[in-house]
Order: sequence, then C-alpha cells, then structure tokens
Amino acid sequence: MSGRSLDHTVQAFEFIEELDRLASPQAIIDAMGRSFAQFGFENFIMTGLPHPEQQIESLVLLKKWPLGWYERYTRNSYDRHDPVIHLCRRTVQPFEWSEARFDPETNPRGKEIMQGAADFGMRQGYCLPIHGLNGFEACLSMSGPDLDLTPQAKPAIHLMTMYAFERARLVLAPSPRPNPLTTREREALRWAALGKSAADTGEILGVTERTITAHIGSACTKLSAANKTHAVARALQHRLIEI
Amino acid sequence: MTSIHIVTDENKVGYEAVLDEYFRLRHEIFVGERGWRDLARPDGRDVDAYDNEQATYLIALDDGRVVGGLRLYPTLLPHMISESFAHLVRGRDVLSGPTILECTRYFIVRERRTGRTDCRLLAAFQQFCLEEGITEVTAVVEMWWLPRWQQAGFKVRPLGLPTLIEGQPCIAAAIQVSSDSLRHVSRLAGLRGSCLVRAEAHAFIDRVPHVAA
Repeated sequence: MSGRSLDHTVQAFEFIEELDRLASPQAIIDAMGRSFAQFGFENFIMTGLPHPEQQIESLVLLKKWPLGWYERYTRNSYDRHDPVIHLCRRTVQPFEWSEARFDPETNPRGKEIMQGAADFGMRQGYCLPIHGLNGFEACLSMSGPDLDLTPQAKPAIHLMTMYAFERARLVLAPSPRPNPLTTREREALRWAALGKSAADTGEILGVTERTITAHIGSACTKLSAANKTHAVARALQHRLIEI
Repeated sequence: MTSIHIVTDENKVGYEAVLDEYFRLRHEIFVGERGWRDLARPDGRDVDAYDNEQATYLIALDDGRVVGGLRLYPTLLPHMISESFAHLVRGRDVLSGPTILECTRYFIVRERRTGRTDCRLLAAFQQFCLEEGITEVTAVVEMWWLPRWQQAGFKVRPLGLPTLIEGQPCIAAAIQVSSDSLRHVSRLAGLRGSCLVRAEAHAFIDRVPHVAA
C-alpha cells in the first residue's frame, strides 16, 4: 500500500511539473487525459458555476466530454438541475457523484441527468469544487466507467486537479503583460503578415523602406526573433498583432 | 480602512490590548469555530509554544479592532511543520533556511470574510516578506485555500500530498515571495499604496502606563 501511495505522490508531482510547461488549453487537456486515465477517468469538464442569468457554455474553461452529451446538457440547461452542481455549490470538499443525493420528487430531472450521463459511459464521477476569492465558484468534474477512488488515489487526484485548474486559468486569462511593440512596429509587422515587402509598406505608410526595415529590426529584437518571418509568427502567436 | 500592523517582541509594548484581543479571537475561531479542541484553554486565549519572542504577527486592524491576522516564525528553529506536521512533507524533508518563514494561525473574522480583507492581509504578507528579504513561506493549509492563494497571484509549490487533519484534507506548501505576487494581490485588494504599518517601539513610550512602585 505504501508503495502504491508513493507512486501516486511521484505521479502527482510529475504532473504538476509538466503543467508549468504547457502553454495552450489543448496541451492541458491532453496532459490531463493521459494522467487522469491512470485513475480510470475518461471524461472531464472544468467550468465556472453559472449565476441564474449566465449560460454554462460561457464559463467552460476546458472539456473532454462526448460531444452528444455536451450538446444535450447545454441545450437542456441541465446545470440548473444537476445534483452534482447543486452539491458543488454547498461544499468545499471533493465528492463522488454518488454522494450528490437528490429527491426525485423535488428534482425529477436529477435522475434524467445522471442516467443520461451513464448512457454516455459516465457512470461514476468525482467532482472537485473550487470556491475562490470574491465569490468565484468553479468545479472540475471527472468521470469514467470504472474509477480508482481509493483513499490513496484521492489525495493525488485532489492535488493534481487544483494545479490543472490553476494552469488552465493562467493560460486562458488575457495576457497581463502590455504589448512590447510600438504602434509603428505593429503596423510594419501587420503588413508583412499580409505579404507586403518593406518597400510596399513604406509606400503605404508614407515613409522610406529603410524606416520600415528599422521597425522590423527592432521588433525582431524585442521578440527574440531570427528574421521577419519569425517575428510575424511570434507576434501572431502571442496576439501582439491581428490580421 | 483596514491596515496591517507588524507586531514583534520589540514593539509589542504598544500593542498590549490589541494582542489580547488577537489571542481571544484566535481561541474563538480555531477552537470555537474550527473545532481544534486540543487548543482549548480555560482563559479563552489561544497561546501556544510558538507565541514567543521569535514570532512576528501581522494583525489587521480596522478602527482599532482586530479583524484578522497571521503569525510568522523562523524555520531555523523548531517550528510547527518540523515538530508536528513533518509527515505532511514528501520524504519528511522539511524546508528550512534563514530566508524561509513558517506562517500559522491565518484568520479573518467571520463578518469580514466576503470582502477584501483577505486580499489586504495577503498583500501585507507579501510586502513584509519582500522588505525583510524572505524568499519563501511554508504553511499547512486546508486544500480549499490553495486555489484562493493561486487566484491571489501567489506561486505555491506543494511539499507533499493532501493529508486528513481533523477530517479536513490539508497540505504543506511553500509560497514564493515575489513583487509580481504583491502587485497582483494589491490590485485585487484595491490598494494603491501600502497598507502595512511598521511602528517603532519608541513611538509608544509615552503611552506606556507608569507603574506605581
């Protein structure tokens, strides 16, 4: 048993280290898919919890859900009646879906939702609520047909999910860093991205070709880019310019 | 408006009433509310072995009333993680060093938990540590606090897996001290400048009551 729990510790710490290197939502989804598969999870969704006037679709950070189920869930606003979401709002502790009790009399759709999920292979689940600062509420809900939710596995899963959530939040947040490029540098790169030469761009902007070359050069320095093509790629990738 | 006062062995003479209120609130919150029965004391003051001349307190005061606080303690001395919670640390390899402190007994009074008091105390905490040349602060914390710290802009690394303490999953973790984190949490706290108050002991000398012989 201690051998196994040691494995879980190693696994959790490796996953947390790996997360730091991931720069896109898809990379996080892939890493989570791989790591959580070891506990039997096949599907997961990371989402904010909607206020009455909000749609859940607008709050989803990451998801690996059967498309058919996601469409059915959102089309029917199942989040209003989902027993898992209801419990998530009331506790800070992780819980298994089976612990999310509901009264079929007062919440007849609860059964429809849990049955519907099971029909998509989401028979068992584990939900990790997040109650942040300033009333922010979210959760990571994960599921699969046969889960490893032993007392040794749960702490590792708990830690891994909190870090996955944090990484997703950072990657999806708008860049807090101001754009390092000047207006002229951005213009020069934008025209380059549209296929214009330095001479063309100079003509468009009413300056000399040499001035444009200088703007591109300083943009290359700021972006640590080897040449104009590289600078354009970087500027687009980091959304410093738009075309 | 809430300001955060640094209270140490040197200047505590000026904070006698504040400290008494602070220890009383700790008892009310950790024993009464959280149910840490082992800390219960008949005088209704939570004071333990680490409340000594080595401890530094950051106490949130609003109009002279204590609304929150935390305690910092050197990790080069026997401290709570090394003495009581080493099993929470992976390989029992407790983090310690001259620039590493341990944070314990963090609290905000109930009526201030929905506002910005948390962020103010956390901002003061980062600022104090930066000013003192502290690089990291270790703590044992309930797991639900982890995303709150992260949302506050704190870089936190886990020192072990979550472990149940009094039925709650808790984790030993190290918070990195950084000016980035201070900037982020100050923005969340709505602070334009500092809310940290560092009062020198001599500022209080006039106010110390003279004891009749």
